[in-house]
Amino acid sequence: MLSVETVTTAYGGLIALSDASINVAQGEIVAVVGSNGAGKSTLLKTIAGLEKPRTGEITFDGQRIDPLSAHETTALGLAYVPENRRLFPRLSVEDNLRLGSYMHRKKADREAPLGRVFALFPKLKERLSQRAETLSGGEQQMLAIGRALMTRPRLLMLDEPSQGIMPKLVDEIFQAVLAIRDSGVTVLIVEQRLAETLDIAERAYVLQTGRVILSGSASNIRANPEIQKAYLGI
Amino acid sequence: MTSAQPFLQVLASGLAMGLIYALIAVGLSLIFGLMDVVNFAHGEFLMLAMYATFGLFFETALDPIVLAPLVVAIMFVLGISVYAGVVRYAMRAKTNPGMVQIFATFGLAILIQGLAQYFFTPDYRSIPNTWLGGKTLNLGGVFLPWPQIYGGAISLATFLGLYLLISRTDFGKALEATREDQGAVALVGIDRNRIFALGWGLGAALVGLAGAVLAIFYYIHPNVGGTFALVAYVTVALGGFGSIFGALVAGIIVGVVEALTTLILPPALKSVGIFTLYLGVLFIRPSGLLGRL
Repeated sequence: MLSVETVTTAYGGLIALSDASINVAQGEIVAVVGSNGAGKSTLLKTIAGLEKPRTGEITFDGQRIDPLSAHETTALGLAYVPENRRLFPRLSVEDNLRLGSYMHRKKADREAPLGRVFALFPKLKERLSQRAETLSGGEQQMLAIGRALMTRPRLLMLDEPSQGIMPKLVDEIFQAVLAIRDSGVTVLIVEQRLAETLDIAERAYVLQTGRVILSGSASNIRANPEIQKAYLGI
Repeated sequence: MTSAQPFLQVLASGLAMGLIYALIAVGLSLIFGLMDVVNFAHGEFLMLAMYATFGLFFETALDPIVLAPLVVAIMFVLGISVYAGVVRYAMRAKTNPGMVQIFATFGLAILIQGLAQYFFTPDYRSIPNTWLGGKTLNLGGVFLPWPQIYGGAISLATFLGLYLLISRTDFGKALEATREDQGAVALVGIDRNRIFALGWGLGAALVGLAGAVLAIFYYIHPNVGGTFALVAYVTVALGGFGSIFGALVAGIIVGVVEALTTLILPPALKSVGIFTLYLGVLFIRPSGLLGRL
């Protein structure tokens, strides 16, 4: 479904992602893990079209997407929830959600995903008229994921969805990610919480200083002694 | 005649003129709110709209009221072209883009003025024999010129239309979202360049409508924009930069204060009141009345 091939992305002279290659198949949850500054966010931004790769190629469902702008990748069915969520803070929860389906012309395409978002995050339904900025961190994350689902994506990219959230809600978010996958949306998730992420993901890539140093099934990654020592503290 | 009569007279004309000021200023505020760009060619847009009304009147002999939609359409296209041809590139400047934008629109203002001087000559023009020109309504001793009543009504209707556009339509929501976070709209599939271009089109169309109103009762010349642009900048700052309804409230205040000033000061000093008020607001509430800084 998604194929990133030998992609290098740099900010000015600083190379953040170096020759990275990853693949995501339909229906999977794929995790990208690694410490701070490993290039995880850069990878997602590059796929989303927010950063242009210096070299390499990205295809989504067989179509080259690396020359596209971010709004064009969204239109193709690739939704991205950035680390800082980027909600519209002074707009209501409902407006934030409805903006997600802005590009769909048919009424049914706009209403249907709304029901699914409410089923996934019932809390949002209670807060419809509230400004997005008044929500708690966890609720804002739910809204950001909800808004992304309103675009009716086939691939959902989540950047650190557990960041800045009460531990109780983190589990709720991870359960929602599983439910999203089960509803037919493929998920590519970037996380620092290695243990929980490997619990829900089928496969994972480990990034270190911009390079993919390890990849494989989630259980293999978890069993890797290097990973256990460096990230899991076992 | 009662002693309140002159006061009511001044209040009424101030109110009508204030509504027209609001209509002149709102496009400026809209563009600023949308993308943090101050259009220093705003007054020149107004001047071009007045000349467009004048030129179309000369070609068609139709009344400016009938020509207004056409002027608005022309200005809409002009606004989009200025965004696509000038502002878009200014925004891409690698260093100091804010300064580049200021100089780009300021340079555009000088260019438009120069071209107007050359092609239209510095002569003062006016549109003769319009439906409303020179006619006055007598409201129990308070006299109001019809062009100003028409302008005030158009302004109110336009603000109502803007309110509906922003609160009820997809484009309005996209506009609001872009104002909130122009980087985030791509995440919902909105092309911010398209919204910016339409925002410039809308901003220019609004000042275009004001120009079609002013052309009925004001002299048309290449420097006419400057006078009104200055009032527009005060209005926008008073109402709160970027606030659309702040522009309405501030426009009315500016119009009324300007009119009241003429009761105490000679007409040549009629702007003193506005600028004093403006300074006062800046000291007490720098973000403007309805602004959020």
